[in-house]
Amino acid sequence: MSPLKIITRDAPTGPVLEITGDLDYTTASELRNLLTTLTLQPDQRLVLDLAGMTFCDSSGITALIAARNHAHSARADVALAAVPTPTLRVLRMVGLDQIFPLHPDSHAATQP
Amino acid sequence: MCRTGQEPGPHDADSEHDEKTSTAAFAALLEDSVEELYENAPCGYPSTLMDGTIAKINTTLLDWLGLEGEAVVGRMRFTDLLTVGGKLYHETHFAPLLRMQGEVRGIALEVKQADGGRIPVLVSSVVKHGSGGEPLLIRTTVFDARDRRAYEQELLRARRAAEEARKQAEADRARLQDALAVLQQSLLPATLPPVPEMEAAAHYRTASPDRLGGDCYDLFPIDGKRFGFFLGDVCGKGPQAAAVTSLTRYTLRAAALHDPDPVSALTTLNKVLHERYTGGDPRYCTVVFGILEPVSATGQVTVRLASGGHPPALILRGDGRADFLPTPGGVLVGVLPAAPFSTATTLLDPGDTMVLYTDGLTEARTGEDRTILFGDEALRDFTAGHAGKSAQAVIQALTGLLDDFGDGLDDDTALLALGVPADGFHPKTTA
Repeated sequence: MSPLKIITRDAPTGPVLEITGDLDYTTASELRNLLTTLTLQPDQRLVLDLAGMTFCDSSGITALIAARNHAHSARADVALAAVPTPTLRVLRMVGLDQIFPLHPDSHAATQP
Repeated sequence: MCRTGQEPGPHDADSEHDEKTSTAAFAALLEDSVEELYENAPCGYPSTLMDGTIAKINTTLLDWLGLEGEAVVGRMRFTDLLTVGGKLYHETHFAPLLRMQGEVRGIALEVKQADGGRIPVLVSSVVKHGSGGEPLLIRTTVFDARDRRAYEQELLRARRAAEEARKQAEADRARLQDALAVLQQSLLPATLPPVPEMEAAAHYRTASPDRLGGDCYDLFPIDGKRFGFFLGDVCGKGPQAAAVTSLTRYTLRAAALHDPDPVSALTTLNKVLHERYTGGDPRYCTVVFGILEPVSATGQVTVRLASGGHPPALILRGDGRADFLPTPGGVLVGVLPAAPFSTATTLLDPGDTMVLYTDGLTEARTGEDRTILFGDEALRDFTAGHAGKSAQAVIQALTGLLDDFGDGLDDDTALLALGVPADGFHPKTTA
């Protein structure tokens, strides 16, 4: 298991959260707590860069949904970048691939 | 002061006076009166003859006892100062040890006071021998152990209190577990109802006994002909998840009575969950909901189902095939205000069994790393080996598989098998 690390950076499209490590039952609350401190402007795009994410369980999926809810409540958008294959499989299974805009990497996700 | 016979030193009168004062203070510090120390030492000193008769006793001990010296010396034995219990212990342990070893240290006894009170004491004794080695008398020290006894009693009291608290906590825990068990049972049917011309079997396994599960299943009659069924997995664990599970179960049952169309039932559930849980604490579930309708003429059963993000049902055919019944595109229930659900239909022939499961089964760890999982393909291969068997036999095989996973089973797992018996009409159910 690798510890969760979240780095926030600003792109022209809005904040990018680089999520590294395991997003699971024990760590998902870190992302959810961070979201509550994140201010989004209308029409900004919150990008979750998952390139460094090593594991994601159902609690992690819930945190991703919480991120989407947070963005939408600020009338902002949300996107996932570089979703690892196992997580992509889960997203497809539960139909979330239709809900989250998916991008191959954070560069593509932050294009206006 | 004893300067007699000395030449007057080179002191003036003042300095001599100072020296007298400091020497007196020093003498007081030196305890130069041994007698005074003996009488008023902070412990009792009785000395007895070898037969126990008290030969000498100090003021401290007399004060504790409330006795006068004349009443004690030569008239009482040491054991006369002790309580009945103390006397017994002295005769059976203290005195024999003292005779054997010549000394005894730190024995806890109780002495009687003249006013009827008793004082816990710690007694040490040493035999004094004469020049020829013959025992002469017994020297004893008696320490007041009242504070120590109080301290010990406080410790005992604290231990009893801790014991009580532990018992209370155990009782609370047992009661809580009973309550959890009742709640858990309300999430699942106690027994599956008999379905005409079908066999149903189910299994539920919680990953942890004191955690309420988030999986649920049910099988229930809709009208004279049709039965509804569902199997779902609520996100999260514990009481919050159980509350969603309960809401899910009863919403689906009520929705199905109103309109048994699978998509309608899931749409109702989606609306209920989405309205109830929004914002930073999203709650959702994946569900397969379906309707069983027997085709009376052929002995077949039509299955119409809808899925909201749930792993696909497995259809085991009587001829040994095992196939997923794909339901792609259905979204988890409760996330979107209006979610799409995907539908599928199949016909179960005699000998066919449909298996519904939660991802606790497919995501069981089969390697050291938690990314190495059992998986869909392995599940299909495993169940193919049991295709053609009864619903009960399939559930038994899968239960054995769960046993084999051992610690690899991280999540709750629910299993529901609905089969059409191969050799005709066998209404049997097992929960």
